[in-house]
Amino acid sequence: MLFRRIYQFLIVFCLGLVCLLGIKQIFTLSDYVIPGLPLIMETSGLVSVGYLLDVINTLSVTVLGQFVSIIMAFTVGILGRKSSWAGSFIKVMAYNIQAYPIVALAPIIFILLGDGFLSRLLIASMICYFPLLLSVLGVMTAPVKDIEHFYIATGRMRWQLEVKIRAFENLSKLTTVIAGSATLAMAGTIVAEFIAANAGIGYSIRIALYQSDLAGILVALFMIGIVISVYQGILETLGEKVKTRWSAPKGGELI
Amino acid sequence: MRLDCNGLKFQYSDSEVAVLDNLSFSMTGPGFNSVFGPSGVGKTSFAKLLVSRGNKPESNISTPGIHTILYSYNMERLPGWSCTGTHLDKVCPPEKEALKKELIDIFRLKSLLNARFSQLSMGQQNRMNLIRYLLQDFDLLILDESLANVDEVLRETIILGMKALFPGKFFLYISHNLMEVAKFCREILVLSEPIKKKGSFMVQGQDYKPGYSLDRQSFEGTMLEIMDAF
Repeated sequence: MLFRRIYQFLIVFCLGLVCLLGIKQIFTLSDYVIPGLPLIMETSGLVSVGYLLDVINTLSVTVLGQFVSIIMAFTVGILGRKSSWAGSFIKVMAYNIQAYPIVALAPIIFILLGDGFLSRLLIASMICYFPLLLSVLGVMTAPVKDIEHFYIATGRMRWQLEVKIRAFENLSKLTTVIAGSATLAMAGTIVAEFIAANAGIGYSIRIALYQSDLAGILVALFMIGIVISVYQGILETLGEKVKTRWSAPKGGELI
Repeated sequence: MRLDCNGLKFQYSDSEVAVLDNLSFSMTGPGFNSVFGPSGVGKTSFAKLLVSRGNKPESNISTPGIHTILYSYNMERLPGWSCTGTHLDKVCPPEKEALKKELIDIFRLKSLLNARFSQLSMGQQNRMNLIRYLLQDFDLLILDESLANVDEVLRETIILGMKALFPGKFFLYISHNLMEVAKFCREILVLSEPIKKKGSFMVQGQDYKPGYSLDRQSFEGTMLEIMDAF
């Protein structure tokens, strides 16, 4: 799963690069507009280590932001699963806020909190929080009647058991959404770094952009792609391990 | 212990035809009684009404002597995160451990206690599910196709075992198996299709107990009477 993610990214990246170089050849564009392969390789040798460290810096914020949003989404999703007034309010609010482009709020956050770690973390969390919340709400509000009936009829149903049943029955959906939200969190962090930050790969891309350094930007995109592929691959592998361990006995097979 | 129904009418909001129209009958417990009829005549609807409305003052259903009603059906599942034996242990009151072991023997599930629910066949799943209900406190247990997909020999063993182990409980058996209903139930409510406008009938079943000897003539008579009713 991990390697599949990486080679899929490499194929897409190479295709994009070939297209770009093709455009350069067709329209005979200068290296200033679209750099040639030798310039890209040269830039890569110069900046790749620095950019890799920048991407890891961004990833650390992404991971933390995603973790915060997962905790928040599950907390609110569990609280909002009941068809009570509070539950309905949470659902309506989540659906409406989801429809708004959260990234547009980033300038306000920077005005209030200034440049730095906290602003990046908040934007990363906010961007992946609402899609996660909607999925968690969808899972937690849908009763699994075939399983829950017995526990309700015999008075054994507790909220912990209800959450456990619904999470277990939708484990694939939840792990896919969590793995998918990594991209959103990464996008949120990079956008935050574009706007106003003093560290991370988004900050480095902004500098490259001001210098019209497309070669540098391509190297940065390559580093982002590789690192996010590895991160998503790890998340998916962990999700599979959790599913296998939880749903089948040791040495047994899933039917 | 009695189950009385007086002029019960029930219609789904999205349907123009009443599923149950002026249903009136009386059944006495304890023992095995049945609701029988072709698909779609309202057997399950009646069972669900009984669970939700039984003994309520405004309801047309009264259940004197019956306090706890449980409803089991054949599509139920046990959670898949641990083996079936663990689930049974968790829902079994400590004082019913001996009963649990006896039921596991009768239901022939001993070898499956380490398996996950999803690894069982449909008949095994239904047997495992039914044991959970039999370990609870109840006065009336509705078995809505709860033994579906179980082979006939084992089904007979299970029904006779339940009769022997729970002589003071009221069972309402919903099934499509005419022979089984005629053989093991005492009072059989036969619901006919609304289009035939025949209404409902009570038929006396054979109510065989463990160690019975089959009286072919009266058994066939009961079956004919049920067939005639729907």
